[in-house]
Amino acid sequence: MNGRKGIDPQTSCREDVALESLMDLDKGRMSRLVFQHPGLYERELERIFARCWLFVAHESQIPKAGDYVTTYMGQDNVIIVRQKDGGIKGFLNSCPHRGNKVCFADAGNARQFICNYHGWSFAIDGRLKGMHASEAFDSTGFDFEGHGLHPVARIDSYRGLVFATLDDRAPDLADYLGDMRYYLDAVFDMDDEGTEFVGGCVKSVIRCNWKLAAENFVGDALHAGWTHDSGARAMVGEGVDDLHKSPERSYQVNFNGHGWEFNQDIIGNCASLGDKELVKYLYAMQPRVAERLDDFRSRMIGSISSCTIFPNTSFLAGQNTFRTWHPRGPQEIELHVWTFVNKSAPPEIKERWRKGSMLTFSPSGVFEMDDGENWEYATRTNDGYVTRRQDLYIGLGRHTRVHDTSLPGNVYQGQVNEANQRAFYQRWLDLMGAAVWSDVPRRDVPTEAAV
Amino acid sequence: MTQSVLEVGKSELAPEGISRVDSPEGFIAVYELDGAYYATQDGCTHARASLSEGEILEGELIECPVHGGTFHIPSGRAVGFPCKTPLRTYEVVDTGRTLLIHLERQAAATASDGETNTNGA
Amino acid sequence: MNDNCAMADAAVDMLLHHRITQFLYREARLLDAERWGEWLALMAEDIHYWMPMPENRRRADRMKAYEAGRGALFDDGLLDLHRRVARFKQPSAWAEDPPTRHAHVVSGVEAFHAEAAGEYVVHSTFVNYRSRGERDNDFLVGRREDLLRAHANEFRLARRTIFITQSVFLAKNLNTFL
Repeated sequence: MNGRKGIDPQTSCREDVALESLMDLDKGRMSRLVFQHPGLYERELERIFARCWLFVAHESQIPKAGDYVTTYMGQDNVIIVRQKDGGIKGFLNSCPHRGNKVCFADAGNARQFICNYHGWSFAIDGRLKGMHASEAFDSTGFDFEGHGLHPVARIDSYRGLVFATLDDRAPDLADYLGDMRYYLDAVFDMDDEGTEFVGGCVKSVIRCNWKLAAENFVGDALHAGWTHDSGARAMVGEGVDDLHKSPERSYQVNFNGHGWEFNQDIIGNCASLGDKELVKYLYAMQPRVAERLDDFRSRMIGSISSCTIFPNTSFLAGQNTFRTWHPRGPQEIELHVWTFVNKSAPPEIKERWRKGSMLTFSPSGVFEMDDGENWEYATRTNDGYVTRRQDLYIGLGRHTRVHDTSLPGNVYQGQVNEANQRAFYQRWLDLMGAAVWSDVPRRDVPTEAAV
Repeated sequence: MTQSVLEVGKSELAPEGISRVDSPEGFIAVYELDGAYYATQDGCTHARASLSEGEILEGELIECPVHGGTFHIPSGRAVGFPCKTPLRTYEVVDTGRTLLIHLERQAAATASDGETNTNGA
Repeated sequence: MNDNCAMADAAVDMLLHHRITQFLYREARLLDAERWGEWLALMAEDIHYWMPMPENRRRADRMKAYEAGRGALFDDGLLDLHRRVARFKQPSAWAEDPPTRHAHVVSGVEAFHAEAAGEYVVHSTFVNYRSRGERDNDFLVGRREDLLRAHANEFRLARRTIFITQSVFLAKNLNTFL
C-alpha cells in the first residue's frame, strides 16, 4: 500500500464516516470516499444542498408576472416564478395533497399551477386557490391557508443571478457570496445593463460525482493544456498556452469555497471560440470596464479562466457558458447549461456567443467532450474496494499565497494551482460537520472592498 | 328601485374590465367589453372560484382563475374544460352613468343561445 | 417541425428514391467508419446542420419544443463542421482513443421534389448506437429532415435538421454526427 499518513485506510462503507479522516489539506491529500460513499452523499443533500444558496435562474428568464422556470435545488425540483409586484418566489414543485409534480414544463407563463391529479390549483404566489370538487372539502374544516405550495426559505439575486436557499437560517446572499462579488462584477456588471441569458438551456447527464465537475471549474487550469489540446487545435490551430510558465500573469482567488482561477490576458477563453468579432467586442469593452471598475478586473472579462460558486454552479467568462451541476446520487449529475451575454451587446454578437458557447461547451462541444470521460472514470474507479481506500493528491501550489495585496478574498499567485480546490473542500468539510449554519466556521469575512 | 333590479354606478366599477358586486342573489360579476356591459353570477359553476378574479380572453370569454375553464360572457355558455354548466346571466341596461342589472331577467344572448341549459362541452 | 411536404409537389420516382436512400446509407457507413473527410465532402457549401435540444413546453405555449435560436447540439455551418472533424483527427482527442464503435441505422426514407429543380426534401428516421470501453453504450433515436441537392452523379446535403426525443441528453458526449 502507499502508506501515506493522514487518511484512515480502514474507512469502509459504515454509515458513519469520520469526516476528519477525509481531508488532510495542509499536506495536500484527500480521500476518494467523498466521490463514492452513499452515506456522505445523503449527508450532502442535508448539509450542503438543503442549506446553501443555490443558483436557480437568471432574472432575464422570467421578465413578466407569471413567467416561470422549473429547476433543481439539489434533488428538489422547484418552480421559480415572477410575481405581480415584480418580486420572485420559489416553491417545491410538489402538490401538498398527495405529492404529485405540479408543473411539468421547463418554462412558460402561467396564471395558476394546477395539479393533474385532483385539480388543486395554486396561484403564482403559491396560495391554494381551489380544487376539483371543492364542495367536498367545504364541510371537512379544510384549511386553505395551510395547503399552499411549500416556498423556498429565501430568494435573492445578485447582478441578475437569482439564488435561493431552503434554509431560513442561512446568512444573507451578500454575506454568502462575500468577496466573490468584487470579482463577479467583472463579468456580470460590465455596464449599467448587466447580463442576460440568451437562447435556451441544454441539459445532459454525466455519470460522475458533482464535486469533480465543481472542483474542475473552481481551480483546474492545469487540465486545459492536456485534456483540451485537441479542442484548442481544432478551434485555433494550436494547443493551449503553457500557463504555468508565467504565473505572474494569473491568479487563483477564493472565498467561502467559491473560487475563480484566471489569467490577465483579457480574451484567452473567448479566443477559443475562434470568432474574431467576439474578441474585438471584448477588447472594446475592456477600457470601459477598467474605467467602471478597475484595470485588474477589466482583464478578467474573457481571459483563460474558470469559476465555481459554491457548491455547484460554474461559468466560463469568454466562452460565456454558465452551468449548474445538479447531483443525482454520488455517481451522476444532470447538467443544465445556458449562455450569458451583455444585454447591451449587438444582437449579432449575442448570436455568435450563443452558437460559439454550444460549439465548445455542450455534450457535442469540442472542449467539453473530453471532460466527461475524465470525470466519469475518476468517479467510477472508486467502485473498487481497494482503490477507494487510496488517497488523492490535491497539493499543487501550497506556497503561493499572496498576503500583501489589496485584492479581496484569499489570493494566490498563478492559476496553475490547487489552492481553490483545497478551499472548496475545506468549505465542504466545514458545512458537512456543522449541524446548523451558526456552527459553520467563519473562515472568510467579507472585506470592505467587496461591499 | 325594486329588489329585482340592482343599480350600479359606472364610477364604482374597476378599471380592469371586471367588477364584483353584491346582490340579494349573491355576488355578481360585471364585465365591460368594448363599451358594452354584461353580468353573470360571480361563482364558477365548476368549483369554488370567483370569476371576477379571472381574465377576459379573446372571443368575449371569461377564464376562471382556478382551473382556467372558460365561459362566453354575453350568453353564460360553458366553453372550455372543465366548465360544463352555464352561468346564470342577468340583463344589463346601460343608462349612461349607471347600469341597471335585472336580477330576474337573463341576458338577451342567453335567451337566444340554443346551447343554454344543456351540458355543452 | 416543418411540414416540408407543403412545398413539395410530389414524391420522387422509385429510381430517384433508391439513389437518395443509397446516399443516406453510404453517409451512415462513412460515419460508422470515422471516414470524416469523405463525410465532410458530402456537405454543400451553404450547409446548415442543426440539432435543437427540445424543451418541455405546454401545448398552449407560443414557444414550441424545437425552436430556432435556442439550445442546440449542432447549429453549424461548414466551418463549424470542419472544426469538429479537426478535433476528431487529433491524436490528443483522448475521448476518441480507444475509438468508439458506431452504428448509424437509417430508415423510413421519404423523398419529395422541393421547389427548386434538383433539390429534394428528404425525411428519415435514425437509430444511433455508440459503444465505448467496456460498457459505455449510448442509444439515440430520432428523425431527420434534409434538403438534398443533386451534384454531379450524386447529392450534396444543404440542410439537415435532426429531431431527437430526449430533453435531457443522456450521454456524456456526442462524438459523431447524426
